[in-house]
Amino acid sequence: MSNSILESANAAASTSAGTPASTTVMSMQQALNRALDEVLAENPKAVIFGEDCGRLGGVFRITDGLQAKHGEQRVFDTPLAESGILGMSVGLAMAGFHPIPEVQFDGFAYPAINQIVCQIARMNYRSRGALPMPITLRVPSFGGIRAPEHHGESLEALFAHVPGLKVVSPSNPHEAYHLLKHAATRPDPVIFMEPKSRYWQKGEVDMADGGTPEGAKVMREGRHLTLVAWGAMVARCLQVAELAAEDGIEIEVLDLRWLKPIDAGALAASVRKTRRAVVVHEAPLTSGLGAEVAQLITQSCFDTLKAPVERVTGFDVPYPSGDLEDEYIPNIDRILFGIQRVLEYKRG
Amino acid sequence: MAEISFPLPDLGEGLIEATVLEWLVSPGEQVERNQPLVEVETTKSAVELPSPQAGKVVRIHGGPGDKINVGEPLIVFEVPDNTAGIVGTVPTEEAPKRRVRLSAVLDED
Repeated sequence: MSNSILESANAAASTSAGTPASTTVMSMQQALNRALDEVLAENPKAVIFGEDCGRLGGVFRITDGLQAKHGEQRVFDTPLAESGILGMSVGLAMAGFHPIPEVQFDGFAYPAINQIVCQIARMNYRSRGALPMPITLRVPSFGGIRAPEHHGESLEALFAHVPGLKVVSPSNPHEAYHLLKHAATRPDPVIFMEPKSRYWQKGEVDMADGGTPEGAKVMREGRHLTLVAWGAMVARCLQVAELAAEDGIEIEVLDLRWLKPIDAGALAASVRKTRRAVVVHEAPLTSGLGAEVAQLITQSCFDTLKAPVERVTGFDVPYPSGDLEDEYIPNIDRILFGIQRVLEYKRG
Repeated sequence: MAEISFPLPDLGEGLIEATVLEWLVSPGEQVERNQPLVEVETTKSAVELPSPQAGKVVRIHGGPGDKINVGEPLIVFEVPDNTAGIVGTVPTEEAPKRRVRLSAVLDED
């Protein structure tokens, strides 16, 4: 099974007319696998580890073939102990390595919160820059795969609240490849939230030109309303924008990408144009990142906004079992309802 | 396509081996998760082993009467690259469905 993903990525390589020769069609799994392979090749200090990351190649096959290619010293399995995985990352970073640990599922990051918050996030600050923490923590995140408890959670607000951490989430294979390569070369700790429900969807990846890896990105232009999303919700918002166009509503979809720091300038630029905004996320409503986004928009666009910023989110309940997932994650109709509430808002 | 090997699991405390009684699947066959694969006998009991995953059977190890040690290869599956992980399922891509229609009088001021 070694290198199977890499090989099939190459087999699927497409250079159809109109796309640059550096463009390849691959799944997000393959894009992430490729990015990690290249990071290991380019940086001799990069090491990858986590539960099942080594011999098995990861439960989602993201590290498939990497141990065989780069050796057991650089890609290896750990015991079932997230506190240990992240604690070890602290020591390795202190010793000059660039750890790329994996927490197998979002909900398993909780046992490592102490290491993430009290060590990784503030060691650089605490040591006045003597001990930077160049750690890229990969966390398969969000819901949508009918998995049991602790396998569908959205921790972005939790991480974004911690000074010293950066948080990023790719929405498609192209973003996944370039954002992971960028994150893995940062001198700061980055929480890399992979939208696991999008792992298998294929898309074009321009290997040579990733565009700017910082800030948000307009995925579709429109003039009536801005949909702000990240991770798996970007694809859903693009579907919604397509449907809204049937009704004559032109929607701009802004992929926030970086959830810490949030690109306030991109939010302002988009909403100054559209004058209406809806933010969509899977995480529960209360104290979710939607509140932060709404405030940033209100701050910069208060005078021109046509309506309060609307939030379409998960509910304030523990993430439900797979059978109820579709009721929890914002679906097309709930997002359309949110858009309609903004469209029909009347002042006074 | 990837091949995934499944070793004989630890079937009970202190058991180090099992004897194959009867294979319930054969190479080339597509099996589903939890489908019975093989009946084996240990010093304690005869048990049916359910499949840990879906996939096509590539190879089986050991015929009736053969002993297999715990941890040694039992069966090898072939699975497509877009297969689900150990947990969860691969979401199906569906054409977007809607019930809500948008209506708005957009003043362009």
